[in-house]
Amino acid sequence: MFKDRTIPELAATKVSSAQGTSPKPTPLEEEVVALFDQMQDRLLRYLLSTGVSVQDGEEIVQEVFLALFQHLQRGKSRRNLRAWVFQVAHNLSVKRYLANRRDRQNLVEPGEAPAEHTFIDRAPNPEDQLASNQSQARLQSVFRALPQQDRRCLSLRAEGLTYREIGKVLDMSLGAVALSLGRSLARFARVEER
Amino acid sequence: MSSTNSHLSDQELLLAADGELPPARAEEAALHLAECWTCRVRKGEIEESIRDFVHAYRGNLDPLLPSPAGPRALLKAQLAEMTAETAPAPQGWRIRWSQFATLRYAGAALFLVFLGLLIYSRPAFQTRQGFRVVPVSFPEPSLTPGVTAGVNRDQICGSKPPKNRIVPASLQRRVFEEYGISGAEPRAYEVDYLITPALGGADDIRNLWPQSNSSAVWNARVKDALEDRLHDLVCDGRLDLVTAQRDISSDWIAAYKKYFETDRPLQ
Repeated sequence: MFKDRTIPELAATKVSSAQGTSPKPTPLEEEVVALFDQMQDRLLRYLLSTGVSVQDGEEIVQEVFLALFQHLQRGKSRRNLRAWVFQVAHNLSVKRYLANRRDRQNLVEPGEAPAEHTFIDRAPNPEDQLASNQSQARLQSVFRALPQQDRRCLSLRAEGLTYREIGKVLDMSLGAVALSLGRSLARFARVEER
Repeated sequence: MSSTNSHLSDQELLLAADGELPPARAEEAALHLAECWTCRVRKGEIEESIRDFVHAYRGNLDPLLPSPAGPRALLKAQLAEMTAETAPAPQGWRIRWSQFATLRYAGAALFLVFLGLLIYSRPAFQTRQGFRVVPVSFPEPSLTPGVTAGVNRDQICGSKPPKNRIVPASLQRRVFEEYGISGAEPRAYEVDYLITPALGGADDIRNLWPQSNSSAVWNARVKDALEDRLHDLVCDGRLDLVTAQRDISSDWIAAYKKYFETDRPLQ
């Protein structure tokens, strides 16, 4: 049934693929790609801030938008897709961590990353070092000492999510989100005053 | 706080800064802030903490973000495939033209045919587990366009040139999944770099593809010979690195023929 393809056949396959014989994207495909354009950098940055590697982060982002496509294809709710996308990314990163832990992969559990793996502890290059100051160093030490959930809240807020959206992503009440952010910023302020 | 005369708590100041206070309370807070320097200064300090954090957050992470072009192209290809999989099949020969008139359905049908031909034309045999092993001799451009690590000729040709690293088993599985052969036996394939690290290729899933060990002619050993050849040419100054990377990533078999001046593998 299956025989080795000849080189011209292989070349023809490659050319037809490269020349894009695929059909025109459907409106739903275009909508999902537009959402990808709007959100992929924010989503990836959030994942990186929790200790996920770039490669794993990119794969999770792909999975998120494929899941979004299926979600919309099934006619499910379009309400607050921004929070939905972040929530799925968060859940996938936790799920992937749990699956990979047995394989002793380098993926670090979001929010439970050892301090040296979180964004704030990345070794600065010479330019960073010139730009950094004592205030930033203090900020780093405070961030390092924050509980995992507080770090997640800060990162999501930095990505522009409202308190309600953060609560949905991390399964926290509105009040708990406000307390978490207030607690973190109060720590920053206390350190600045010293 | 029950009146505009009492100072706002830090929590309320943060909620006010973030626009998270209920409308009535936000109005009271705004009135108080207009007349209270102490609270304004506290609010400014909170804003300053936020600014410092955002500065550090973006400043550290933004340089790590890769170009979205590759993932975007991959997403588009996968969405097209998912659309094709879910498109309704025609109901026999008596289908009316009106049902098939839109470009959308016509396009989906063409794509299905294309996919069918692509799958059917791939040679395969059954393993004892019943999985089809596809002798992949050629990477799929949308999945494996080839990614470089941004190294230069001096680094490649130095005393310690980059070498191929062992691809972790979990990453190999992801490559198999991308190629739709998730049930494959790892020994049936060599997950290979399209652009070898010795030519500046990156450790990136977009630079990895499952090369079948059952390919009798254009197999991994033949590609290894091409990689050695290109490395020698680049380091001898007879070929520039970018051309070598482009040739091996766009069509490695054509590159082999070109640089060995033969239509068949020499080994």
